[in-house]
Amino acid sequence: MSNILEKMQEDLYNGRAEEVEAAAQKALDKGTPVQEILNEGLIAGMDVVGRDFRAGDLFIPEVLIAAKAMHAGLEVLRPLLAESGVPAQAKVVVGTVAGDLHDIGKNLVAMMLQGAGFEIVDLGTDVSPEKFVETVRAEGAELLGMSALLTTTMPSMKSTVEALTEAGLRDEVKVIIGGAPVTASFAEQIGADAYAADAAAAVDTARSLVA
Amino acid sequence: MASNKTKRPMLKYLSDSHIEQIHEGSLDILENTGIKVELEEGLEALDKAGAKVDHQTGRAKIPSELVARSLETLPRKFAYAARNPQKDCLMEPGGQLYSRTAGSPDFIIDIDTDEWRAVTVADVLEIYTVMDACDGISILTAAFAQEWPKLGRDILMLREMFDHTDKHIHLRTDTVETFPHMLEMAAIVAGGKEPLRERPIVSLLEGHVSPLRYIDVMVNALLLCGEYGIPLEVCCMPMAGSTGPVTMAGNLQLLNAEFLSGVVISQSAHPGAPLVYAPRPMLMDLRTGFSLAGSIDGEMAAVAGVQMAHFYNVPVSVHGQWSDSVLDDGQSILEHAYTALMGAFSGANILVGAGSLQETLSISLAQLVMDDEINKICFRALEGFAVDKERLGVDAIARVGPGGNFLADPHTVQFVRGERFTPELFYRGSVEGWVEGGRKTFRERAKDKARTILKEHKPNRLPEDIAKALDEYVSYAFESLEK
Ligand code: B12
Repeated sequence: MSNILEKMQEDLYNGRAEEVEAAAQKALDKGTPVQEILNEGLIAGMDVVGRDFRAGDLFIPEVLIAAKAMHAGLEVLRPLLAESGVPAQAKVVVGTVAGDLHDIGKNLVAMMLQGAGFEIVDLGTDVSPEKFVETVRAEGAELLGMSALLTTTMPSMKSTVEALTEAGLRDEVKVIIGGAPVTASFAEQIGADAYAADAAAAVDTARSLVA
Repeated sequence: MASNKTKRPMLKYLSDSHIEQIHEGSLDILENTGIKVELEEGLEALDKAGAKVDHQTGRAKIPSELVARSLETLPRKFAYAARNPQKDCLMEPGGQLYSRTAGSPDFIIDIDTDEWRAVTVADVLEIYTVMDACDGISILTAAFAQEWPKLGRDILMLREMFDHTDKHIHLRTDTVETFPHMLEMAAIVAGGKEPLRERPIVSLLEGHVSPLRYIDVMVNALLLCGEYGIPLEVCCMPMAGSTGPVTMAGNLQLLNAEFLSGVVISQSAHPGAPLVYAPRPMLMDLRTGFSLAGSIDGEMAAVAGVQMAHFYNVPVSVHGQWSDSVLDDGQSILEHAYTALMGAFSGANILVGAGSLQETLSISLAQLVMDDEINKICFRALEGFAVDKERLGVDAIARVGPGGNFLADPHTVQFVRGERFTPELFYRGSVEGWVEGGRKTFRERAKDKARTILKEHKPNRLPEDIAKALDEYVSYAFESLEK
């Protein structure tokens, strides 16, 4: 691996967005294949970040800063990636369900998923089943992530899963849910594909759902 | 003449200059960054009072002079009145400490199986019964059954509460539509809207969304509580690292600015409306993102928050028994003990949290009973002891002399009662006695006590005519909600 990519990994780990961006450009200028920069620079860098986060050595804000740096590098590569036919990132629609304004957990999960290479469509809070369905259809999303923090709003997750089925979209999209009062058995009960207890588990689960 | 009582212990972190810096920083935030207000009536009140309001964006910038004016009209002293006047709680800065249970759990640790499960209607009645029976608990806060309908569960909750306690009732409400009905119910029990204003037998806690966002429910609460004269705990809970600065001081400063903006909205619409400062500084767990409730850091920040309340000379509630534990176990007992003692020593008026777990997501009857005991320990610790000639007992010591004993000395007989607190749930005997008693742990003894209360305690029910009037009102309220 070139020195540039090695240094890129290190800068990414430390959240130095400008350096990562410059390195991506430099590597391209030197003729490094775009796929190699992506895999051996950015993705490999994020893998180290993910490993250390799981080990408890990195804190969430540090992971988010690293993810920002990765995205800065990715922006440089994006036009070339499209040209060279590298498959686009999986799209995830996320939102907090109708009647619920708690968005800290949802935002965190969205940021972590973005850091893990997913493309995020964030619908914000108080999102109706109709809005979820509409967006999943319009965006061609592979994943739908719903968050609820109130037991009074959890039923809206069920309504959304039902609305997806009615719209004929249930087989096109995987549904993952979370939030403090939500449990794995509730996910099973309403016919969601998965539940994740925290942001790290959300990333792992999302990856396995689209694999 | 000097008092024979020892001093009230007062825990303080902030120096006068720290307090000044936090106050100045808060004014800067309100004047230059401002707040977002998502209910037109709130914006109008602010506009009239002299804030710079942009009705399009909902942004309001609050000049320092308006903050000062609003602080002046805050009442310094009022009651959390009770249906039984002997159980009134008087709020005044630096005054007596009361305790209240934590707000709106709807999961419970099953007392028989230890399972974490949804709260049922039967549980709600048991929860209120235990809260009512514990005399270390001064004020009851709402708990919800998951079987109740989503819209109007707060109305049903209040109906049951009125029938299960004659202590002060602290409300939670879910929606802008249901809250006026709850106030009408309180007026029925109090004997009218004026008697309710005179003796508010209910109070509310409500919060904005940190940072600096006043959603409709909160603005509505500030306005309606003012209109009815119901005390409102202005709950400020920025979470260090996510919805607030990660630093202790920065998060506290944001929290304080948020409290002040609540004061301004309230006092602009209803000068003299009773408010309680409710600092609930939260921390994001940096590894999982969860919000931390039982952390030592959070309790330190809360104590500093109480100092800010004292600086503004307003009553204050502090979280006391808060924990992140998912079970009423060693962790929750430890967290509740230190948060409660620190909260008690802060000089706050209300210590909040008895019975709660996972912050306030779940509740346990055993924990309630244990926390009743922790409350009594806190009250005892605040009470201190007397130091005077009689109690010092130089004569008694002379009488007994070197090598004697005090067992049956007149001085001992004179003071044998009243010098000590005797806990109810602690086992302090021999190993043999403990084995003979069935090797019961602290937790099992707490469960036993809760079961006994459920068997024996009879709450002071509502008079029949009032109960009937309330039922009629509840039916009416549900009809109008359905429309
Ligand atoms: C902060 C907070 C608020 C803030 C919200 C600020 C915001 N911008 O979100 C404010 C003050 C506004 C608020 C308001 C209310 N709240 Co609130 N709130 C909380 C609190 C203290 C922390 C929630 C939080 O942000 N945690 C931190 C985040 C990071 O954790 P998280 O959301 O659980 O997310 C993690 C996982 O769950 C998971 N996850 C989350 N979402 C998703 C989604 C997917 C797809 C996946 C895979 C994973 C996942 O990953 C996340 C990261 O690890 C909880 C208490 C608690 N113990 O949870 C109460 C709590 C949730 N609130 C509660 C209540 C009752 C309310 C109010 C109704 C109170 C009121 N009467 O005003 C209002 C409701 C407003 C509304 N309509 O939504 C109750 C809910 C009770 C219940 N079981 O129904 C709780 C439990 C506290 C309580 N018992 O009183 N609240």
